[in-house]
Amino acid sequence: MTPIALSVNGRKIQALVEPRTHLADFLREHCRLTGTHLGCEHGVCGACTVLIDDEPARSCLTYAVQCDGLAVQTIESFDGDPIMQELRTAFSREHGLQCGFCTPGMLIAARDIVRRLPDADARRIRVELSGNLCRCTGYLGIVNAVESVIAARASKPTAVAPMAAAPPRAPLQAFAPTSEVARALA
Amino acid sequence: MTQGIGARIQRKEDARHLHGRGNFVSDMILPGQSEVAFLRSPIAHGRIRRIVKPPGAENQVFIRANLGDVAAIVAPTTVPGYKLSEWHPLAHEKVRFVGEAIAMCVAPTRAEAEDLSEQIEVEFDELPVLVDAQAARMESTVRVHEQWNDNVFLTLNYESGFEAKAKGAPVVIQREIALARQAMVPMEGKAVLARWDDRTEQLLVYASTQVPHIIRIGLAQFLGIDQGQVRVISPDVGGGFGYKCILQPEELCVAWLALKFRQPFRYVEDRREHLVVGANSRQHQYRLTAHADERGRLLALDADITIDGGAYSAWPFTVALEPGQATGNLPGPYDFRGYRCRTHCVATNKPGFLPYRGVARTGVCFALELVIDAIARAVGREPWEVRHDNLVSATDMPYDNVARKHYDSGDYRKALILAREKIDLDAWRERQRRGERDGRLIGIGFASYCEQTAHGTSVFSGWGLPIIPGYDQATVRVTPDGGLEVRAGVHSHGQGMETTLAQIAHEVTGIELANIRVLLGDTGTTPYSTGTYASRSIVMAGGAVANACKVLIPRFLAIGAHLMQAAVATMKYENGQIIGPRKSVSLRDVAEAWYLRPQELPPDVDLGGLEATVGFRPKRDTGAFSYASHAAVVAVDTEVGAVEILDYVIVEDCGTLVNPMVVEGQTLGGAAQGIGTALYEESPFDPNGQPLASTFADYLLPGPTEIPAIRIHHMQTPSPYTEFGIKGMGEGGAIAPPAVIFNAVNDALRSLGVELTETPLTPRRLLEAIDRAKASTQPRMETA
Amino acid sequence: MKAARFDYLRPGDVGEALAALANAEGAKILAGGQSLGPMLNLRLARPALLVDISRLKALQQLEDAGRAWHIGAGVTHARLEDARGRLSGGEMLCEVAAAIAYRSVRNRGTIGGSLAHADPAADWPLALAALGASVNVRGPTPRNILVAHFVQGAFTTTLAANEIIESIDVPKLSRAGRYGFYKFCRKTGEFAEASAAAVFDPESGVASIFLGALRGIPRPLTSLAQQVAREGKIAASTEAVSQALAQSVSGLDAVEHSMATAVVTRALMQVLAP
Repeated sequence: MTPIALSVNGRKIQALVEPRTHLADFLREHCRLTGTHLGCEHGVCGACTVLIDDEPARSCLTYAVQCDGLAVQTIESFDGDPIMQELRTAFSREHGLQCGFCTPGMLIAARDIVRRLPDADARRIRVELSGNLCRCTGYLGIVNAVESVIAARASKPTAVAPMAAAPPRAPLQAFAPTSEVARALA
Repeated sequence: MTQGIGARIQRKEDARHLHGRGNFVSDMILPGQSEVAFLRSPIAHGRIRRIVKPPGAENQVFIRANLGDVAAIVAPTTVPGYKLSEWHPLAHEKVRFVGEAIAMCVAPTRAEAEDLSEQIEVEFDELPVLVDAQAARMESTVRVHEQWNDNVFLTLNYESGFEAKAKGAPVVIQREIALARQAMVPMEGKAVLARWDDRTEQLLVYASTQVPHIIRIGLAQFLGIDQGQVRVISPDVGGGFGYKCILQPEELCVAWLALKFRQPFRYVEDRREHLVVGANSRQHQYRLTAHADERGRLLALDADITIDGGAYSAWPFTVALEPGQATGNLPGPYDFRGYRCRTHCVATNKPGFLPYRGVARTGVCFALELVIDAIARAVGREPWEVRHDNLVSATDMPYDNVARKHYDSGDYRKALILAREKIDLDAWRERQRRGERDGRLIGIGFASYCEQTAHGTSVFSGWGLPIIPGYDQATVRVTPDGGLEVRAGVHSHGQGMETTLAQIAHEVTGIELANIRVLLGDTGTTPYSTGTYASRSIVMAGGAVANACKVLIPRFLAIGAHLMQAAVATMKYENGQIIGPRKSVSLRDVAEAWYLRPQELPPDVDLGGLEATVGFRPKRDTGAFSYASHAAVVAVDTEVGAVEILDYVIVEDCGTLVNPMVVEGQTLGGAAQGIGTALYEESPFDPNGQPLASTFADYLLPGPTEIPAIRIHHMQTPSPYTEFGIKGMGEGGAIAPPAVIFNAVNDALRSLGVELTETPLTPRRLLEAIDRAKASTQPRMETA
Repeated sequence: MKAARFDYLRPGDVGEALAALANAEGAKILAGGQSLGPMLNLRLARPALLVDISRLKALQQLEDAGRAWHIGAGVTHARLEDARGRLSGGEMLCEVAAAIAYRSVRNRGTIGGSLAHADPAADWPLALAALGASVNVRGPTPRNILVAHFVQGAFTTTLAANEIIESIDVPKLSRAGRYGFYKFCRKTGEFAEASAAAVFDPESGVASIFLGALRGIPRPLTSLAQQVAREGKIAASTEAVSQALAQSVSGLDAVEHSMATAVVTRALMQVLAP
């Protein structure tokens, strides 16, 4: 057993854990924070998504021992968070959840999109949400919810300016390639 | 804002899920709880020669012999020729599919239970494996079930007017069409937590199930204890889709542990287990021969259907459900009078077949809709036109079809015409002619279906299943503060019934939605219902809720009249108010009189008080038929074999809409699963019966970029047989997508001479089909 | 699916990590855990000891080394994704990083981990091979080796059990340089069915095309690359690419050939586009 000390939802937690206990099981069984769900335990479905040091991560692929000294945030901790509040309202309005199992992970991923990609359109939102599977909604309600939150925030003056487009450039000129590369690869 | 039927109300159940406060079985921990892991068969077919438990841990490991008093799961029907299979909770003498549970291990944590399972030694005498249903059907010596004389669960034969109608038909189209085996993949797998309660002397079983009352009956039956000793509580369920509408052997095993050891035990299915033991649906093969006239009007249909039934028949619905539904639903929404159908349900060394959203309708729709398009191509007409001409017309409703199904109401043709308009067929045909700059080929497809929903006693009793659905009941109770509690025996696994049933209660009683609480899932507190499956719940439970509420109204009036010292005949009930000629009292006043100040009650007050349990059955329970037309546009990349859905429209009619938002959600979710069936999902097996897609690395579930923004348009043709004219609709979305997508792709590839007929449409299958078509049109070449 | 038991060590520096690898039987490096985690949970990997190098500062550099970018093995895909616009001459790195799996995987997965794992359908072995990148290996015999030689087959590299990848050197593209990266995935974020990377730089004379995902290791298409450098668009047509593949890559069936032709052609279109 290995001693760890980490912050979970702002609270300092000390525990003895087996190295093989992943963060999701640690949160669910030891901390009794069962909002983080297990949908696959191989990093594809996203139901286990939490924040580790402020960035979304799969808690089924992170072992609790790796989180010693780090700060973990789960779905239970976002009550005062403005983006999460807007997302929750939007998810309900747009019918972005049905059975609720994927919802916690989906919300944390969605919040990261709103925060990180304020210009994202529906297509981009779909790409960025690809790491969160839903079997119930067909995704439309979820995408509409995220889109509506982004749109509402874009109309606010504090929105981040979009990244400048790349400058135009000349097409590739023909050249004689060196034989070094080919030789190196031989 | 309106809160009753038709209101687009946000769901009450959202609040807890948005905050991560859902309550799934895997979230529950009871003091002294142990975790269970199963040792599952690594081979597909074999006799168990020896099992050696890990030394020192014998009392933590259980095999079949230890569960002596538990009966094998046997699911009977009275259908002639149906063969019984014994599905033991832990493998008995033989294993019949990879993943079949052989032993269960108990430990303080799941990880330790898995450690234990790895230490069990099992020796097998391997037997030849049957992975192909056609081969298994013809197989003369190898038997999945040794007491059978073949490997066929059931053969159904149906015929009506075939010879006469087929005779002399100028157009004959024959096709072989197949759907791959797949899994249902709810995000939450099956899960069960059981404990013995000393105070009530009951087994308390928390199960992730769609059908708590059925599980209760099944557990009691197979454990050999009284029904009264079992209480099943289904909490939040993370998706079901049919996977959770049967008694699971794991539920039986874990319940037995709790019964025997009087401690809590829990089992949670993990994803690999689900993809292996849940590879149990959709696998049908069709040979269809359609006889039509020169306009494409269908005259007669001949079908030979093979269903790969897997190793065991599940309880209570039995594997016979699938062939029965295939035979009965193949004719679809079409008007033709000649039909002949032979359906074989074959036993193989794979997990036993289960009814996945849409059941056989997805397969039959796929098969027939592809044939309709083939007929259209043969007669040189647009597929949608041929489809239109064959659809039952609104003026023929109600219509008794060639399979003796009674279509209650609907305008199938109008839905198709609307779908054509909304997809804008003409614009796409124009664009198709112009060609795409990126070289992709555009295709447009249509598919129509009708869906039997909320069918009940008269239909199921013909099958002689161990449990026949009958009268669903609901209990309604006014609380002392004038609110309403509604209890029903159905159970939500995403359908939002905590909201929609409240909407129906509001419709009748006028009580504010915020003051209506719907409680589901607990056999100890809810009245009996066979549960949520077959798109029945809103009709059955909704009708029962309406009936129960209606029974209360006269009681409100009687007490209210007495409180106002006026004649009952002068009373009116409206929106929670009992209104007299001069004044009114609220329902709250009435409730307080009954509960808190009984001295104010009339001396002849109805002793039923403010609570009623009433049942419901539709006027005619042969089914309320929802229906839809789907239309889709695809772009096919013939270089890599990719299919992109550019637009997708659904025009659906499920009668009176209770909550349009919920209906859309169900339709979208079902359609997403249908797209998965069409393009992505497959559970292949190698010749040794080894499953080849046991993780999400190999089993592809569609994500947000694979599912388009589907546009839905509603029609509402009420059913004449149900309360408020509501029809069920939960499965419909999953029925048409494979048909519509394949029709669209075949439309795109028509110029290449390609016609695809097997799901899923993987890039490899697409490219190979294009290659084959090229090869067949090229002159023979000498190869070096 | 719970992992089998293992011990865990978080070494203070690379030397300690190497010592742990040398001394312990069945020790394995844990970096981001995005490839190893699933294998552990599925019990497909059962190391006795995990050596966690994810916090070693020495493996986190992202430095401009003049003619190359010097990237620590522990740099995450997300860090490269977010460096977009700030990695002059290394823009391909940002683009490739951004398309790997999903953001929550990119936040933990590392470029060194991806190379060491050498999944045949992964993006880094392919892209880095095309860029002429090289790996700096630490261990008893420290060495620098081209990525194209480092990866030897599916899940196979020249890395010995007692070695770790310390950093990767990626030659910069000049302003005249162009790259293309195209992968065909059935589903966003999943491993590619077929992929191709192309790098052309008139200033350095580099012309490089690699085919990925099919058949194990990234396959160089040397003569095609030379032709495209000299002749431009006509050498990059679907027909030309198809022929080149038929001549230089063996063992592709018709379907794979079609996919390979498409991804190489499309990667070249990115190179040649204005």
